[in-house]
Amino acid sequence: MLAALVLAFQSVCPTVRLSAQLSPHDSALHALDRLAYGPRPGEVDAVAAGGVMNWIDRQLSPDQLDDRLAAERAATFRILRYDSGDLARLYAAASEERRERQQQGARQPAMDSLAPPAQQGGKEEQMGRRLAGEVEQLVVVRAALSRRQLYEVMVDFWVNHFNVFFGKGADRVLVPSYIEETLRPRALGKFADLLIAAARSPALLFYLDNWQSVAPGSMPPALTRPRLQARPWFSRGRYVPGFSQEPARADSQRRRALERMPKGINENYARELLELHTLGVDGGYTQQDVIEVARILTGWSIKRPQQGGGFEFHDWAHDYGEKTVLGVRFPAGHGMDEGVRLLKLLASLPATMHHVSRKLCQRLVNDEPPDGCVDDAVAAWKRSSGDIREVVRAIVRGPDFWAPQNIGAKVKTPLEFVVSAVRAVGGDPDTTPRLAQVVARLGQPLYRHVAPDGYPEREEAWVNSGALLDRMNVAVALAAGRLPGVTVALDSVAPATGDAEQLIAAVNDGILGGTMSDNTRRVIRDELADARDPVAARALAVGLVLGGPEFQRQ
Amino acid sequence: MSVSRRVFVKSGGLALVSLGLDPLFLARAAFASYHPLPPLAASDRPILVCLFQRGAVDGLNMVVPHGESLYYRERPRIAVPASEVVDLDGHFGLHPRLAALKPLWDNKSLGVIHAVGSPDSTRSHFDAQDYMESGTPGAKSTTDGWLNRYCQHDREHDDTPFRAVAFGPQLPRILAGSAPSLAIDDLQAFGLRAPQEAARDRLTRAFEELYAGSATGLLSSSSQEAFEAVQLLQQANPAQYRPDHDADYPRGRLGRSLQQIAQLIKANLGLQLAFADVTGWDTHVNQGASEGQLAARLAELGQGLAAFAQDLGERLRDVVVLTMSEFGRTIRENGNIGTDHGHATAMLVMGGPVNGGRVLGRWPGLDPASRFEGRDLAVTTDFRDLFGEVLARHLGATDLSAVFPGFTPDPTRFPGAIRG
Repeated sequence: MLAALVLAFQSVCPTVRLSAQLSPHDSALHALDRLAYGPRPGEVDAVAAGGVMNWIDRQLSPDQLDDRLAAERAATFRILRYDSGDLARLYAAASEERRERQQQGARQPAMDSLAPPAQQGGKEEQMGRRLAGEVEQLVVVRAALSRRQLYEVMVDFWVNHFNVFFGKGADRVLVPSYIEETLRPRALGKFADLLIAAARSPALLFYLDNWQSVAPGSMPPALTRPRLQARPWFSRGRYVPGFSQEPARADSQRRRALERMPKGINENYARELLELHTLGVDGGYTQQDVIEVARILTGWSIKRPQQGGGFEFHDWAHDYGEKTVLGVRFPAGHGMDEGVRLLKLLASLPATMHHVSRKLCQRLVNDEPPDGCVDDAVAAWKRSSGDIREVVRAIVRGPDFWAPQNIGAKVKTPLEFVVSAVRAVGGDPDTTPRLAQVVARLGQPLYRHVAPDGYPEREEAWVNSGALLDRMNVAVALAAGRLPGVTVALDSVAPATGDAEQLIAAVNDGILGGTMSDNTRRVIRDELADARDPVAARALAVGLVLGGPEFQRQ
Repeated sequence: MSVSRRVFVKSGGLALVSLGLDPLFLARAAFASYHPLPPLAASDRPILVCLFQRGAVDGLNMVVPHGESLYYRERPRIAVPASEVVDLDGHFGLHPRLAALKPLWDNKSLGVIHAVGSPDSTRSHFDAQDYMESGTPGAKSTTDGWLNRYCQHDREHDDTPFRAVAFGPQLPRILAGSAPSLAIDDLQAFGLRAPQEAARDRLTRAFEELYAGSATGLLSSSSQEAFEAVQLLQQANPAQYRPDHDADYPRGRLGRSLQQIAQLIKANLGLQLAFADVTGWDTHVNQGASEGQLAARLAELGQGLAAFAQDLGERLRDVVVLTMSEFGRTIRENGNIGTDHGHATAMLVMGGPVNGGRVLGRWPGLDPASRFEGRDLAVTTDFRDLFGEVLARHLGATDLSAVFPGFTPDPTRFPGAIRG
């Protein structure tokens, strides 16, 4: 009852507080900049008219938002109809094709290198490339078209928090289901559930090597039997269906398999789990804690990554000894259950709440997150036992989110820039990977951040001279309808008119939400002075605004 | 480039200090406020060009230990016959398709470091490339690359936007970090694009004015860098470039990258560090011996480096080219007439300051007893000792421990790649 009262009070209070500082229009613009990928034409006014807090509340319950358009578009992506096993078979066939081609290529060199890359290779290779492109493009399409904007923002946040590099071996097979089945369904759920799901995901287990972390001296049952059914460890080599029938040969094969066997624990995942996913680098753990966590997670593995296999707990590889993590004892004799216990423990520790809350505030409020914002988020985390929806709600209802110094304080990432520009001109992206390639060219190849820390949430990472020039080029091309992979609807922004003042006013209102500086207005007016063709003039004005400094901020 | 704009940048930076902006921003802002304009005249600033052979080059077929019978026993189908290698010192020889490099060896501007690599045992391309670029083998959490850290710690040369340039669509990990660097896919396309020159110049000026008057913080300083770079490059007129001395670059990405690096060097824009990728070394299948897949890649590399040296002519005296690759390949050939992921490999150093005409590093031999994990060529030179030597003796880096954290550089371990 008390909680309900508190919530009811809070839902009124910030509205009152923010109205003292920001007009309904400006607060709608700010919310759309930060909790969405920027406004589509007319959206600022619509959100302002319905009340920005109401809009935020609806965004926090995405399941209740009708999102048919985005769902229908997503359904045209073939990648969503392939599971990891299908993808593994496809890539195996593709690499078989490539091998054959290379063998021919030794006799007849470089024949198809004259063809454009997308048309090189056989049918399976082309399909593999197309599907890999779809994985990235789907991000852009959902961000641009979905009405569940805050949900897509949160998905992006978690994809980054639990970063997996798409280019590492089997991960190109494992990443699609990681996104669709592990992260997306839990993006506004309980943090502990997300953490456990990520820990069980083949994509992460492969990326951070935990799948081959074993208790020293342990050996898979298959290697102790006279015949092995399948080659157990992922490698680039061909899939070998078993050892030779001939005893001497089988012995040598078994010896080689044994040499390739992991010999002990691999600390990689354990370390990143503590440093990146939960406690944070200053979260108070020691090297010994890393080792103990790695021991607890021995045996968390994958059926056969090369074949897109699922999660599998290998009890033969598990260290059943006693462990102590951060002073908490994990008694001997436990198997997979102690890993789950550990993850729940980590999810509930104050250092984790603080670390993850801080990252959320950094994403939603300011590169340098205000302490008050972090405190509000941590308090909500405690209150709700780590319910991400409530943590986000607390951040958005807190005073820092609306504070004047945080309005327009963040520079857009390349993804945010491209998607917000597409949205601003009423753009409709297609299913080819061309827009995702634009995002990559601006410095943010999706799912291809190699290090486990994910893309940085700070402007230094994105603002450099080459990338800025590229943003300007993208803006000009988009406004002129020349950016491949997207159709634009400039009529929804401004009329093609010879009246420069009318045009500038419409572009300012439609794209910058009325925040155009005097200097920008003057420069555009000068450029329009001798533009004769109203259509070209409009494209120029829109291009300059999208590529200009105001639009790089949010 | 007017004086008043430089003053604007500088005073802009000062004004921001008083606003109490965060230190990381200030680091970049400080980088961005240049010293006087780099002169468009010949300079003798030392230059380092790094080529990353992604995919793990087979060092044993690139620089062949033809004096070892074990090499031939382990590679019955892919060994390069002793009669065909370009002999270097009676024990090692270049792959025959690298023959274009022999004159550089003979005039002592090409050296080889053999059995070099990472102390980390990983055989994952991903991890090993990551370690070689971060410069911290075994530590995944390093966020920046060692070339960028060098720029952060040696501020003497941060007077030009062209100080550190990667040729390719994205900035590689090796240059990631707080010091500014450029990723340029194509020098001619750097800048704003428009159908005609007049339209391009007008668009450039419009954006320049937009940013000069409306941008704040890092957007302001970076856009300043950008337009300055565009203007400097226009003066150098890259579209008109013709290689000197009839240098003939091979077709393909590597040749184009090397030609553009030579262009930038000769344009005197202050280039100090250049980086380019060379792909196609992951020869698991049908690698070939004197001819074949690897031979084709090596021919491109050899011709590219030879053309680069020829094009630069006298300018090569200030330039060092360093090749690197994440690891080597198995000593024994595999069942697919190729090689699998191994450990140590060979790296090439080329240029005027190079202590050339010799194979450097301690050769561990191919004897099974001295192999790494019983199968691969052992690493006897930590790559950081080679990279560190090049930074210290060629570029004059003074604090290597800041560039390679967790590593204690020791000049006595330097392989001797740069003339003292």
